[in-house]
Amino acid sequence: MSQGGIEQERRSFIAFALTPSLIVLFAIAVLPAIYLVMTSLTPFQLTTPGSATDFSAPLRNYDLLPGDPRFVNSLLVQAKLSFWGVLFQVLIGMALALLLNVPSRFVEFARTFFLIPMVLPPIVVAVIWKLIYTPDISPLYYAAQALHVTMPALTSSVDFALTAIIIADTWEWLPFTFLMVLAALQTIPDEYSEAALVDGASTLQIFWYVTLPFIMPILVISGMFRLIDSVKAFPLIFLLTGGGPGTVTEVTNYYAYLLAFDTNEIGYSSAVTVVMLLLVCGISLGLVWMGRRRESMS
Amino acid sequence: MSEPSARSATPGRLVAISVTLLVLLSPFLWLLQMSFKSNDQILQFPPPLIFTPTLENYISLWHSAFSASFVNSLLSASFSTAFALLLGVPAAYALSRWAGRGKHALSFAILVTRMAPPIAFTIPFFLFYRWIGLLDTITGLVLVYTSFNLPLVIWMMQPFFDTIPVSLEEAALVDGARTRTVFTKIVLPMVTPGIAATAILCFLYAWNDFFFALILTRTNARTAPVAVVNFMNYEGWEWGKIAAGGSLVMAPVLIFSLAVRRYLVSGLTAGAVKG
Repeated sequence: MSQGGIEQERRSFIAFALTPSLIVLFAIAVLPAIYLVMTSLTPFQLTTPGSATDFSAPLRNYDLLPGDPRFVNSLLVQAKLSFWGVLFQVLIGMALALLLNVPSRFVEFARTFFLIPMVLPPIVVAVIWKLIYTPDISPLYYAAQALHVTMPALTSSVDFALTAIIIADTWEWLPFTFLMVLAALQTIPDEYSEAALVDGASTLQIFWYVTLPFIMPILVISGMFRLIDSVKAFPLIFLLTGGGPGTVTEVTNYYAYLLAFDTNEIGYSSAVTVVMLLLVCGISLGLVWMGRRRESMS
Repeated sequence: MSEPSARSATPGRLVAISVTLLVLLSPFLWLLQMSFKSNDQILQFPPPLIFTPTLENYISLWHSAFSASFVNSLLSASFSTAFALLLGVPAAYALSRWAGRGKHALSFAILVTRMAPPIAFTIPFFLFYRWIGLLDTITGLVLVYTSFNLPLVIWMMQPFFDTIPVSLEEAALVDGARTRTVFTKIVLPMVTPGIAATAILCFLYAWNDFFFALILTRTNARTAPVAVVNFMNYEGWEWGKIAAGGSLVMAPVLIFSLAVRRYLVSGLTAGAVKG
């Protein structure tokens, strides 16, 4: 076969290998997005015929959003959940990573078990915390009873419901930040802290001046990952509180779900989702940019 | 090897690690022990720490509709994994050899599918399925899971292809072999470990899904995660069954994910950070 023949044959193989995947990617990433934006411009309800193609007042849904107290509240709830969840995950994850960053066969073996909460199916995590938060069967309430302390029903209390979700979410995703920080810690050359030690630095000083600057980028990146993912916290809220009591734990994602599949307001729900999507896209682009910058630096 | 004092495995630190692990895993262990208790033992106060384990919860699940939903989960996760690999592995190879501009577009596509809240896709998928009659079918689930696993396959497989020297393929090509033959006979056998790890991750993503299954299925194609929740809604006091159902749903996940823990990070962060 001639050189040109090989080249042509190669090119047709590449086209053959890529085309199906590109079509599928287009069909799942681009088409639904277009469809979602279109639907958000209509007052679509499944029970109202013709409403899916009614573009007479295209921006009506978006006009309604700022004046919808449940939507505004859902953004606030999401902000609280994300802020505290991410903060605790990064801090506790880092503490765990520092604790486990020792050369030992036993510790290496134990690390694997620290990953369990993260790999469990999210709905099983929700079931686990349902058991913990249900007074009749929970070890938490048994302990309180044994100590003669009355514990409020956490998930149905206005004051504690969101905290209960944050605790469960932190438990589930701690291993992620732990894993990322541990990987970063293991790339720090031992000479750095040895040199600092010789110079008489304390453990705290070594952490503050040597370790922390080194792992700072990974703390930010893993925090951003968790921030993006925290928007998806669905199974926990679905099973533990159902958005309640009232709307105390109703995040935007859950509100959009209720709108579309509970109250049948598909057009309006799409508009809520589009706003949420734009927020997530903004954070994602920031993350890509940071990832590239880090790549070009190393 | 001389270790600085801050990085040595002192007995005190080992104890601290063990205690932390026990505290961290205690909610998980509580579910596990509950699945082996009878309903009377579960509601007993104080809770018996030493008890005769019973399999009655698991046996009654086996004889209920739960076993059908378990099969549904297995089918949709396996088929979607197979399809995603079939489409994605050749594409990853082509991208690895062709390189260049395509990679950035790809990492953006992965970001969109991974990072966007599922509800953004559920509304279009729901309406489309309702229209063509794919609601509450295994086919519908396989389609959704395949499309979401495809970017993951492409992302995970590329580095494996990158490590294979191009000279190997060129030698065979000069000898007159076709690109397709080189791919199937020479390249593929060299990346089987990568394919295995990717397959497991795909399977786990599909298996773990709750949201799509909740909305796109009713009774016929209901998957195990949704079935567990239904115990809670309609048979609210059968905690033993709920615990056993949860344990069954997590069993394959625990086994598989511990097998591929090295690849977990790159799979989870697909799209933005190099694994």
